[in-house]
Amino acid sequence: MNPQKRIAIYGKGGIGKSSTASNVAAACADEGYNVMIIGCDPKSDSSITLLGGKRIPTILDLLREGMEIEEEGDVVFEGYKAVKCVEVGGPEPGIGCAGRGIIVAIQKLKKISQSMKEMDLIIYDVPGDIVCGGFVAPIRKGLVNEAYVLTSGEYMPLYAANNICKGLSRINTKLSGVICNSRSVSREKEIVSKFANEIGSELVAFIPKEQIVQDCERDGYSVLEKAGGTDIAEVYRALARNIMSSDCAVDPRALTDERLRELTR
Amino acid sequence: MQQKNLSIMHPRPSSIVAALYTLRDLNVEVAILHGPPGCSFKHARLLEEDGIRVVTTALDENGFVFGGHDRLVDMLQKVEERFSPKRIGVVGTCVSMIIGEELHEAVMEANLDAPVIEVEVHAGYNDNTKGVLFALESALDVGIIDRQEFERQQHLLNEATNVEKKYGAASKEYLEPSRGDVKYTVAKRVIEMLKAGKKGICILNAKKETAYMFADITVALQEVAEKLGVEDNIVNFANLDTGLGLPRVRQHAEHILADMHDNVKIDEIIGGLDEYPIAGQQVRQLIEAKYKDFDFAVIAGVPHAIPMESLEGMELISITNGPRQVHPLKDMGHEHVLVEIDLHPKTLGVTNIVESEFGATVRQLAREE
Ligand code: SF4
Repeated sequence: MNPQKRIAIYGKGGIGKSSTASNVAAACADEGYNVMIIGCDPKSDSSITLLGGKRIPTILDLLREGMEIEEEGDVVFEGYKAVKCVEVGGPEPGIGCAGRGIIVAIQKLKKISQSMKEMDLIIYDVPGDIVCGGFVAPIRKGLVNEAYVLTSGEYMPLYAANNICKGLSRINTKLSGVICNSRSVSREKEIVSKFANEIGSELVAFIPKEQIVQDCERDGYSVLEKAGGTDIAEVYRALARNIMSSDCAVDPRALTDERLRELTR
Repeated sequence: MQQKNLSIMHPRPSSIVAALYTLRDLNVEVAILHGPPGCSFKHARLLEEDGIRVVTTALDENGFVFGGHDRLVDMLQKVEERFSPKRIGVVGTCVSMIIGEELHEAVMEANLDAPVIEVEVHAGYNDNTKGVLFALESALDVGIIDRQEFERQQHLLNEATNVEKKYGAASKEYLEPSRGDVKYTVAKRVIEMLKAGKKGICILNAKKETAYMFADITVALQEVAEKLGVEDNIVNFANLDTGLGLPRVRQHAEHILADMHDNVKIDEIIGGLDEYPIAGQQVRQLIEAKYKDFDFAVIAGVPHAIPMESLEGMELISITNGPRQVHPLKDMGHEHVLVEIDLHPKTLGVTNIVESEFGATVRQLAREE
């Protein structure tokens, strides 16, 4: 058996991490892998498209109510092609501490989940930019060993991606590749490829901007499930294969802000 | 899924502090508190009396925002340089744990010769035994204790937590602290019973180092009984097994037994000094087998861990060091409940039995007879 892949996808908020993560999960499940997806975003939308649009209770919801979570059935739910879905959840905006929430939930999960051990792939969909200790908890607690960065060719997402690279080298985590979720800006593929090369990594997928992704999401499904015959489904499949077979990861070298500006000019 | 326990309004012992005490029992020489300078101040001082150094990384507002990793690495190295300890502990606090500090990374980076026990703990646990458990888990990881001792400790911790929830400080939402009954009155009653030829069991069921003072009650009763010529009317139980527990805990039992010399005969050993939560079962069996017809029992240390059924028909005199333990004990049916105030500070760092107030009172009254 292949060693278990445990990856995290980082990137600026709103850049499409959740849809990428869930489509990759679905594509890997199609190939027959055992997959788990763990959403760490308070919106908890990493798994919704794998569950036909249903929301599942989050680990933190249950903890807040003072439940002792003992059973897997409490927080681990099976979705499309038996993908195991978990949502971490988070506090109300403006109250409490989201970073701590992730730490607590991740520790809890590590303790209670048996099925995690049987997975071929575990995807952590981590919120936004690396901002505090809590947001890197999955890595620090030894649950993730590879990271991917998702960006578009625009300046702000690249800026975030670059920051994430700084964070990754700080916590000694390798970068397995850069994924471009296109916003259809000019020279986008070229810009992101260049960025990837200059930080020492490579562009592992270019996901074109297509309405069909949005449409499937609105209906509560992954592209793989609802529009499996489309070109974009093929893009996700290729990315999934790439992730499952990749074994070259690098210590990313973040660029200077100046160089980053030059790139996107 | 299971509902959570009742909420507690009065302050409870802290897991951070519990972790520090456990490190001491594991013979750690220096413990580093990774957090604010004032955290656990009083206990840190007390522990220093007990021979372990406690230092802090003294995280300030800047540390809260920007993290304290470098300070911790620094402190680890400083500690090695200055004290060359054979064993080091690092203990988290609420602050460092909330901001996600990684103790392990700092320990790796500091790269010291001595083994470091890392305890990721904060004060936000209802059961302070969590702090003990985390410290033991980490001691297991670095090979300082073996799996068997770990499992034994884990079992004891669960039992201790159960006892506290059923009859102890975690048994009620709010517990009024109390100084208990007047020692003079209770001492008089004990002497009265001895003089009337009644038979009593003196049970020492103490938690670790607190035994240095609670044992004095056993000694005092023995002295008084001898003076009154009724020493045969008293039997002594004590959890002073010298072969059980973490290194320091075994030593305490040895010290106390040595200090009793030949003056006091312990008739029944009911476990080790860390077995106070489970010694009750032993007590129950012993009483059922041999001491059913006894008239009274003097129980010092953790009286609420002795099952009431086993004490049926006896007049109970209990001595605790927790002012919040008085009401629960009275509710259980202990007629007389006494508190040895400030017991803990007086028993840290000692190797001999320390005089108790109740012991002193009984002795004085006997002298006046
Ligand atoms: S809140 Fe926590 S970190 Fe702060 S002083 Fe109290 S116990 Fe220590």
